[in-house]
Amino acid sequence: MNRATRYLGLVLALAMAAGGCDESASPERDVGEDEPLRILSLAPNVTEILFAMGQGKRMVGRSTYCKFPPQAARLPAVGDTINMNLEKIVALKPNLALVVTKRDDVVRTLEGLGVHTVALECDTMAELYQTIDTIGRETGAMGPAMNLRDMIRDGLSAVRRRVAGRPRPKVLFAFPMTVGSAKMMVAGRGTFVDELLDVAGAENAYPEAGDWPTITPQQAVAMAPEIVIVNAVGDQAAPDRIEAIRRAWADLKGVPAVVKGRVIVLQDAYLTIPGPGVGLAAERLANVIHGLPGEPGR
Amino acid sequence: MAAKDRNPLTPDDAPAAGPYLAVEGVEFAYAPGTPVLRGFSMGLARGRLACLLGPNGSGKTTLLRILVGLLDPQAGQVRLAGTPLADYPRAALARRVAYVPQETLAAVGFTALETVLMGRSPHTGALGFESPADWRAAREALRRTDTERFAGRNLDELSGGERQRVIIARALAQEPDLILLDEPTSFLDIKHQHDIYGLLAGLVRDEGKTVVAVSHDLSLAAAYADDLVLVDEGRVAASGPPEAVIRPEVLSPVYDTPVEVRTDETTGRPYVLPRPPR
Amino acid sequence: MPIRPLTFRRYLLAITGWAAVWLVVSAAAVVLGAENIWAWPSWESARTVLGLRLYAVLTASAVGAALALAGLAFQALLRNPLADPFILGVSGGASLGVVLSSLFLSVLAAPLFGFVGALLTVGVVYAVAQRRGRLEPYTLLLSGVIINAFYGAAIMLVTALIDPESRGDVAYWMMGCISTFGARWWLVGVVGGLVVAAAVLFAFLAKGFNLVAVGEDTAGALGVPVDRLRLVTFVAASLVTGASVALAGPIGFVGLICPHLLRMVLGPDHRRLVPATVFLGASLLVVADLATRLLMGLGGQAPPVGVLTAMAGGPFFIYLLRTRWRRKTEIR
Repeated sequence: MNRATRYLGLVLALAMAAGGCDESASPERDVGEDEPLRILSLAPNVTEILFAMGQGKRMVGRSTYCKFPPQAARLPAVGDTINMNLEKIVALKPNLALVVTKRDDVVRTLEGLGVHTVALECDTMAELYQTIDTIGRETGAMGPAMNLRDMIRDGLSAVRRRVAGRPRPKVLFAFPMTVGSAKMMVAGRGTFVDELLDVAGAENAYPEAGDWPTITPQQAVAMAPEIVIVNAVGDQAAPDRIEAIRRAWADLKGVPAVVKGRVIVLQDAYLTIPGPGVGLAAERLANVIHGLPGEPGR
Repeated sequence: MAAKDRNPLTPDDAPAAGPYLAVEGVEFAYAPGTPVLRGFSMGLARGRLACLLGPNGSGKTTLLRILVGLLDPQAGQVRLAGTPLADYPRAALARRVAYVPQETLAAVGFTALETVLMGRSPHTGALGFESPADWRAAREALRRTDTERFAGRNLDELSGGERQRVIIARALAQEPDLILLDEPTSFLDIKHQHDIYGLLAGLVRDEGKTVVAVSHDLSLAAAYADDLVLVDEGRVAASGPPEAVIRPEVLSPVYDTPVEVRTDETTGRPYVLPRPPR
Repeated sequence: MPIRPLTFRRYLLAITGWAAVWLVVSAAAVVLGAENIWAWPSWESARTVLGLRLYAVLTASAVGAALALAGLAFQALLRNPLADPFILGVSGGASLGVVLSSLFLSVLAAPLFGFVGALLTVGVVYAVAQRRGRLEPYTLLLSGVIINAFYGAAIMLVTALIDPESRGDVAYWMMGCISTFGARWWLVGVVGGLVVAAAVLFAFLAKGFNLVAVGEDTAGALGVPVDRLRLVTFVAASLVTGASVALAGPIGFVGLICPHLLRMVLGPDHRRLVPATVFLGASLLVVADLATRLLMGLGGQAPPVGVLTAMAGGPFFIYLLRTRWRRKTEIR
């Protein structure tokens, strides 16, 4: 059973468990006595969280990027935070909108349409837990929210235990360099990917705080990571692009990871989505970094 | 008739108000250090046809542009009917003075009639709509320059000569008192050359208009003009009736080439025969 | 015999006719859309959508009219049929202002900074291009093009330096969009007001435009204050362009093509062109915006309005060019 299927199974299991809890939904969030909740989610990770909490069936709309789980892909898409199809949103008549953005004009526009809007932030693990709590409050599903939190915490603790005592290599987590660009995006300190690396028993080779800073190859050499993980997803997952990525890194001969042949190309979208799958993400990273048995990396 | 015989260029003989068109000590240079007009002075009475003659680069076109108000002289003054040119509001000046430049870029897509109607723009209102009077004036101008049949044709479809006649029609449509033309017949065949000068002479004679035309054709100028002004290096070298100016001893030094002057027995006017250079 | 005289009455009739076209197109764009609101049970939501559409139509009208009018004015000013509203760098200044403000200051103030950027550019271009207070088309064109290139480079620099997430926003905005997102009625009002003022101004300058097209000397000799005309035209057209870019980003093609389309039909007389350009520019952009909204309904994603205008307008214009080219001189 591959990664994706395992993840899916986890989410569905959670959903079914949450479905059981749903009947005792907390009365904290009341849209109106008779009015059922109609949820619009404009972020892929929020959509996943909603489904994991069993609230997927209350969703009426999603952003164009919310393709997971498959049931979500069947919902009507209304664009993304840059380009929202406001008419469609009005047509779907949501009464709760969940967005991940720092821009208040997004929130204001949606509120202007008469939709109660909540802006969420998920840049760190702490914020992720808060987001789950908030979603639980807004949807009146505190029970499933707490279950999800616990599941994630337990998953992370399990990974921490497995790698305890092992040496902590310096790891650089990067996205592939875009064609024609001299820079690449890496995970800075303080992001939740950075926290995952920490859980997985590694030290982030990038020394400073930052969301997704871009660095030059020279800076990569200066950081001297022992392991480089490149996550290629979507269009970048084509075989010829993967080959190009490997070759590009092979050119940087001063990097210890290249010398030791520990440049690993992964194609796991869930690694960078702050959602229900972070436990699995940590596990994956741990396996890859410490060469533990588990599913063989591709 | 008596007025016509008088030499208009003698200030003492001029009417009390001064000549109609008075150029007083005008100096002009496009760039500092290269003067084009140096202390140019001349006076012209109303109702005369005057031709400006002179070698290339002597400043004739520049003078015309100053007379129509496009350039400001750096020294000296021009007066029209006693009032300095600078004191005339633009539109008022445009109602009195018409200008036919030497070259016209064929403007994109305007017909001959539209071009001639442009001559009415000093008379039309702010939004530029033409009245029936404007249309009458335009048609009349077309008729007089023998360009009526081009009325609906685009200007760029016409030959150089036809276009020139349309531009002259535009000047006529302005119904000006003073018409300034820069080589108006340079592209015309002999029939139309004489037609145009005949037209200009008629305007002077019958309607009392004043015409100043720059000409390279000495004989043509001599045949029609009341007054000739010979310009050399930005100054007036000679002026007066054709008989006084069209003389070998006057022309040769200015044009730096030998000339011979004969008299046309029919008209009594002089004409010029250039001779090969020594 | 050819054309009929342009009298005041015919002028008003023409304006009314063009205005009617625009009204019909706008009404259609408000009534139609991807969502069939007329079948909705609840009037409340339908009214919300109508409000969104009305905003889009008014924005598109103001911007379309502004750009078409500015294009006409710049083509007259520079005596260059290739001139469009962005050629003199005003849009570059407005864009840079909007981009910098959105990234580092506040998204709300962005249009204001865009307008300020446009004003500054007008000053800079004028200062660079003027000689003894006069603006000559050649120097103006060169100065504007160089300053435009500078702005283009500055915007690329900013885009390269910012984080990739914001890059998408910038790139998207640079394609020009009529967005109902974060409605700014006040700015639409400003642009609309500027359009009306500019249209009235250019209507009075139309006579002068015709004459200047024939020749600078000819125009001067016929009483046109050429220098003043150039300065006023430059400032007015730049202001209206700057405001429009601050509102909807640089939407290309409308400013270049509208005047040419109309010249094919109406001829080169600016007195006829000015009122027609205002309403045709408005109508074109309203139609393009409607098409964008309909496409969005079909596929979920739609190209930005500026992309649509260029891709649809280009082939259509080429077709017109080929078929009417011969007949252009036979219109009269």
